[in-house]
Amino acid sequence: MEGNTNYLEITIGAVLVYNFVLSRFMGVCPFLGVSKRLDTALGMGGAVIFVMAIASFATSLVYQYLTTEIEFLGHHLNLVFLKITLFILIIAALVQIVEVILQKLSPPLYKALGIYLPLITTNCAVMGAASINAQEGRGILAATLFGTFSGIGFALALLIFAGLRERLELSQIPRPFQGMAIALITAGILAMAFLGFSGIC
Amino acid sequence: MGTTILVAILFTGVIALLLGIIIGVVSKLFSVPSDPRVELVLGLLPGANCGGCGKAGCADFAKAVVAGECPPNKCPVSSSEQVSSIARALGIEAGSEFRQKAVVLCGGDVNQMKMLTLYNGVSDCVSASMIGGGPKSCAYGCLGMGSCARSCPFGAIEMINNLAVVHAELCVGCGACVKTCPRNLIKLVPADSEVHIYCSSPVKAPLKRQVCNVPCIGCRKCMKSGEEGQFEVDGFKIKVAYDHQPLPGAEVVDAASCPTGCLLTEKQHLAIERAEKPVVEEEVAS
Amino acid sequence: MSERVIPPKPLSFPGGIHPAKDGKGLTEHKAVEKAPLLEDYVVLVSQNVGAPPKVTVKKGDAVKKGDILAEAGGFVSAALHSPTSGVITDIGEAPGPMGVNVPAIFIKADGLDEWSDKLPAGLNWREASADELKSRIASSGIVGMGGAAFPTHVKLSPPPDKKIDCVILNGAECEPYLTADHRLMVETPERVLAGAAIMGKILGVENIAIGVELNKPDAIAALEARAQEYGVKIVGLKVQYPQGSEKQLIYAITGRCVPTGGLPMDAGCVVQNVATAAAIYDAVAEGHPLIERVVTITGDIVVNPGNYLVRIGTPVIKLVEWASGVKSEPRKLILGGPMMGFAQKSYNVPVSKNTSGVLLLGGAEIIQYESSSCIRCGMCVRGCPMHLSPGPLSMLIENEKFDLAGQNHVMDCLECGACAYACPAHRPLVQHMRRAKAEIRRAGKK
Repeated sequence: MEGNTNYLEITIGAVLVYNFVLSRFMGVCPFLGVSKRLDTALGMGGAVIFVMAIASFATSLVYQYLTTEIEFLGHHLNLVFLKITLFILIIAALVQIVEVILQKLSPPLYKALGIYLPLITTNCAVMGAASINAQEGRGILAATLFGTFSGIGFALALLIFAGLRERLELSQIPRPFQGMAIALITAGILAMAFLGFSGIC
Repeated sequence: MGTTILVAILFTGVIALLLGIIIGVVSKLFSVPSDPRVELVLGLLPGANCGGCGKAGCADFAKAVVAGECPPNKCPVSSSEQVSSIARALGIEAGSEFRQKAVVLCGGDVNQMKMLTLYNGVSDCVSASMIGGGPKSCAYGCLGMGSCARSCPFGAIEMINNLAVVHAELCVGCGACVKTCPRNLIKLVPADSEVHIYCSSPVKAPLKRQVCNVPCIGCRKCMKSGEEGQFEVDGFKIKVAYDHQPLPGAEVVDAASCPTGCLLTEKQHLAIERAEKPVVEEEVAS
Repeated sequence: MSERVIPPKPLSFPGGIHPAKDGKGLTEHKAVEKAPLLEDYVVLVSQNVGAPPKVTVKKGDAVKKGDILAEAGGFVSAALHSPTSGVITDIGEAPGPMGVNVPAIFIKADGLDEWSDKLPAGLNWREASADELKSRIASSGIVGMGGAAFPTHVKLSPPPDKKIDCVILNGAECEPYLTADHRLMVETPERVLAGAAIMGKILGVENIAIGVELNKPDAIAALEARAQEYGVKIVGLKVQYPQGSEKQLIYAITGRCVPTGGLPMDAGCVVQNVATAAAIYDAVAEGHPLIERVVTITGDIVVNPGNYLVRIGTPVIKLVEWASGVKSEPRKLILGGPMMGFAQKSYNVPVSKNTSGVLLLGGAEIIQYESSSCIRCGMCVRGCPMHLSPGPLSMLIENEKFDLAGQNHVMDCLECGACAYACPAHRPLVQHMRRAKAEIRRAGKK
């Protein structure tokens, strides 16, 4: 399956070329919701990187097992069709566990990320990362790498957008464009700008 | 086929059970003691984060209430039912009932005051007050640029004819406007008061007359027609004694027939401002 | 005093503007006239930065010229003296220069104009001790006469950990229209030089310089002629607004920068206005407190603009009368210069210790602009002498983000008006800065 996996392609591709928000249009909800201020965007970005990495790791572990054929009471079964259900279950539980542990072990980190963690639990970007990994049939290392760098890509887009929105807030905008309208237009232009990276890999 | 379904259900069920047990164990092992009552109170609060209670927001206020630092009725926004439901949930006293509302004690709209100077600076009261005291003739009156209206989280202040007017039915008495007004014209008064003296200028009557058509000239007609103690003298003007019960009603306004028309009920005040012609172009005498 | 003895270019500072019309030609060749005695004076109680003085007279008291009306209300405060002999008719309120009514003392002159017999005798400043000189300055109610009105004796009492090694006198008079300091330097250079030398003596400083903009060659010549005997150096400066701001003046003359949020003493300098120096000389050598100053009354529409030596407490309307009135209806009355002065609502505002000019603008001198959105041209950034970005700051302030404005050093703003002058969109930048500074100060107090 792996062997000739190009890790550079996975990482750069995940951050720039196939950026989760700006090219795959996944995770647009938190992208628009938490990008009002630069500091909250930073917290959210950190949380997403963290969750995506561990979610990709855990789901690829499970997926490795799912793809092997199971013999059960004399029947040969293929449970690959269960992957989405299982991924949701695992990611949600994982985030929950991490949140609880974080709250106890590292209160400052919990304070910084805590309120964003539940937001990400069922975020489609996290699900998407796991799903893409399964589709591509990536190994554990490649999957974790992809998850981490997808998170970094998300954080990058979020930070750029938060910076833009902080500037947008200061500008005088015609009434019909105020608020979310101009934010969406800006996001579209930003996505077009990221199109320039296509072709790198 | 049937087995596949069975196995899928079983498989998912087992994993879910496992994860559930893990979460349960972990949250027991790593439990951080927190007070669930804070969440409860927070849920019962309006969540406007207006800061009218003096705390940093509703969450902060909820903590303070649970800790017993302040009574639930300190929240000026909550209705009495909400306050009592919080008190019931916590099993504590609600605190005595006291609702407030804001009122702008100035009747000097553009039709009643002169515009002394040509002002084309920033349309904001705080900025204007720092430049020669603003364009209006009265140095103590409403500047009319709507800083209070913009600061109101409940949209209860309307600017009519360059004068801020509080809509009592929308006002919750959080006091955000009181802090904003650079002229300190806005006062928090008991919610059931309806008669006000719409003037805050402390200068002598002749000086007020020069700059405004509706000043309080301190003639004391209202004091004579009202009950003992309903009004009190405050320098060169009269003010309503808001801590005196009963508060003056509409009949006092009728009986007093205020010679300048600054003693009004809230309804009359609003009706007057509404009836006056909106100013199309401000004619400015230099 | 700096290493740059022969500068390649006239000494200046980065940034700043040069207003196309400086209006100085109206009055710069007119000698200072002594104003006639009035019947009524209105002395504002608080004429200094810091604590307002405490009034020590009451209604009906007879006072002589130079008698104390109010005592300093703290260390950062200055005493107030009677401008003439007469009777206190009232202690009440009068229109102040900031547009609101302020406490004032009303004096009816008796026409005799007699000096008080309680005044101290003149000192020989070359022999008197530094403490003696300093207490004389404090008791004479001298404040910064360039506009800030900061009590002078406070500036001359630096904390012991600050080493002062130069005294700089501000004779730049960079504000358009004003020529009061110019005429003072031309006509009585010895008072200015002696005042500078007295400050040098108090601070134990040898390095004393007077910075004068190069558009006043006669003032430079008059000062140069006698500078040697007082040990003072005259420095010609580029004609650039705001050359007379203390931080810009220090940079132009010494090349030192005052740290952000700091005072001139942090750069080892004390900066005083030339008019203040002249007042110091009068207080020391004659024993006269600060009761009069040179005021420029000017503007295109003024019939006979000029400079007058007027008593503190003279209503502005009298100055307009002495200048033979106006040709057409003025649209703006400004106390101070056109850049940093304050527009007034009333002609009854009296002259204070820091009133350097009375400006009546009308006709073509006033253009009312509509301000529009920032076009990001950067003219304000180029004009700002403090290296701020007024345009982005104003947008932050418009959106009430005062904390962000504070992080972007809005507190360093001088309110000189160079940005607003340069702005092609006519944005009221200075007003925004003033708002932010007031809000940040208010938040800091809580």
